[in-house]
Amino acid sequence: MRPALHTILKLAPVLLPFLLLFAGGLALAVAQSLGWWLPFPHQGSAGDAYRQLLTPHMAASFLLSLRVGFVSAAASVALGTLLAVGLWRMPSRMQQMGVVYKIPLILPHIAVAFIVLVFFARSGVLSAAAYHAGLISGQEEFPSILFGGSGSGMIMAYVYKQTPFVILMAYASLKRLDPRMLETARMLGAGMGMQWRRVLLPHLAPVLHTSFIILFLHAFGAFEIPFMLGESRPAMPGIEAYSLYFQRDLSHRPAAMAILVCMFLFSLAFIVFYTRAARRFSVRGRPYAPAAAKGGPPSVHNAAPHIPLTERKL
Amino acid sequence: MSRTVNLPAKALLLCLFFVLFAGPLVVLILYAAAPGWQWPDLLPAQWSGQGAAFLTHRQADIARHLGFSVLYSLLTTALTLVLCLAPAHHFARHTFRGKTLLEGLLLAPALVPAMTFSMGIHYLFIRVGLADSLPGVVLALATFSYPYMLRALITGFQSFGPEYGQYAQHLGANWWIRLVRVELPLLVPAIIAGGSVVFLVAFSEYFLVFLIGGGVVPSYTGYLFPHLGDANRSVASLLTLLFLAVPVLLFVVVEISVTRAYRKRGMY
Repeated sequence: MRPALHTILKLAPVLLPFLLLFAGGLALAVAQSLGWWLPFPHQGSAGDAYRQLLTPHMAASFLLSLRVGFVSAAASVALGTLLAVGLWRMPSRMQQMGVVYKIPLILPHIAVAFIVLVFFARSGVLSAAAYHAGLISGQEEFPSILFGGSGSGMIMAYVYKQTPFVILMAYASLKRLDPRMLETARMLGAGMGMQWRRVLLPHLAPVLHTSFIILFLHAFGAFEIPFMLGESRPAMPGIEAYSLYFQRDLSHRPAAMAILVCMFLFSLAFIVFYTRAARRFSVRGRPYAPAAAKGGPPSVHNAAPHIPLTERKL
Repeated sequence: MSRTVNLPAKALLLCLFFVLFAGPLVVLILYAAAPGWQWPDLLPAQWSGQGAAFLTHRQADIARHLGFSVLYSLLTTALTLVLCLAPAHHFARHTFRGKTLLEGLLLAPALVPAMTFSMGIHYLFIRVGLADSLPGVVLALATFSYPYMLRALITGFQSFGPEYGQYAQHLGANWWIRLVRVELPLLVPAIIAGGSVVFLVAFSEYFLVFLIGGGVVPSYTGYLFPHLGDANRSVASLLTLLFLAVPVLLFVVVEISVTRAYRKRGMY
């Protein structure tokens, strides 16, 4: 059999659903956003739906989704990395008990949103605690964290749901790191910061970049948490599309599809640009070429400052 | 020596793990046991079995929704496994032109917003009669969850060399016997890893099941959702705890049966 044909045949079980359902679904979304293949006659030209999106309202919605995606992904990656390293350095008995971190992984998004409501609503647990601590004298004095227009409720829900994902990924990667690397670094005089910069972060970088991409895109484009915790002005783009599709008349369908197509295109562009930037960054900041990070040629003198420290420690 | 010095700090960190990740469950348990828990009481003033009574009252309804959720999630897991086996084998064992690009493309459905393709699929499914049906829900769920299975199986195939299959082939085993007797047993850890993720993704999905199932296909998330807005948080808390119990129970059952099967074959 010819190799190319063999490849196509072997990959067919996923290529077919990929092309038919995934690419087909996308193609239909694109077509309907342009006013084609609609279940009703469409008046107007192909770009109308996209032109409709050029409003301050949609821009605010897009910016909100960028902020929610970025803040929640960055916070989850930072917190998850710290906790994963902490878990990794525990004695093995404690590491086993540490599996409680997987609880939010199992909880569905709508349940996580519910937990955030229970804790942060004005009638919630934290508000009651603040009342007993004498910080507030009534429910209405508790800051409106959830529906204050900044998306902080959504961000908290995503951080709670996503931090365990980062722990899972980073912990698995740390299992492949020899702990003696850190001991050696310490013996050579590296402090906490140096151990993180030169040993832990370079080792974890690929996993953390992947996690950031996954988490950012998920918080950017998912539906469930904004549906429960989101505000209406501005709403996340997914919710905008949803309400145009389901709660308004059929003539709004091209606009709904146009929002979804824009979300898709943005996600693709984000993946491409982020992976490129991360690759360039990791080449420049490679652990054993510190001078290259500053733009100069690698030099043995960079290692020199460690030597006196080593002697002091010994 | 530094280990013993840092032990209290490590114990404290472990406590933080419990507070952060298990703490919310304690609050849910309190709500479940005390439907009348009101602001600003830090602990419920009185306990009641009212929430539990609701569960027993609606037993049949809850069981039906839960059963359907488990059913379509298991079907999705099985479907993704069947679909991904041959492609994962090919990706792990062969090099061909455009491999990296194709691998990246095939992982895309798990990354990009699922809403975009699912709205299109919905229209497609209405046309071919798959909307509002169990097969439609399974197909839609598999479309964006198969990358987790594919990724896990590729890693699984890479973890052992092609020799096992070749030996079996030299001994006269056909592809089916090689698959069932040699490769699948070696792939069990990868299948469990990928399968758990696919199951969880399918089991906790709300929007897609609601969209493609159209309310005709019962789902536990669909049953839970309206209760999350109740002024009385007791029922929602109970249902959420029940939600957590199903995958945990399933993982325990899988873990025990796999260990037992391995022991029987003397693999561990």
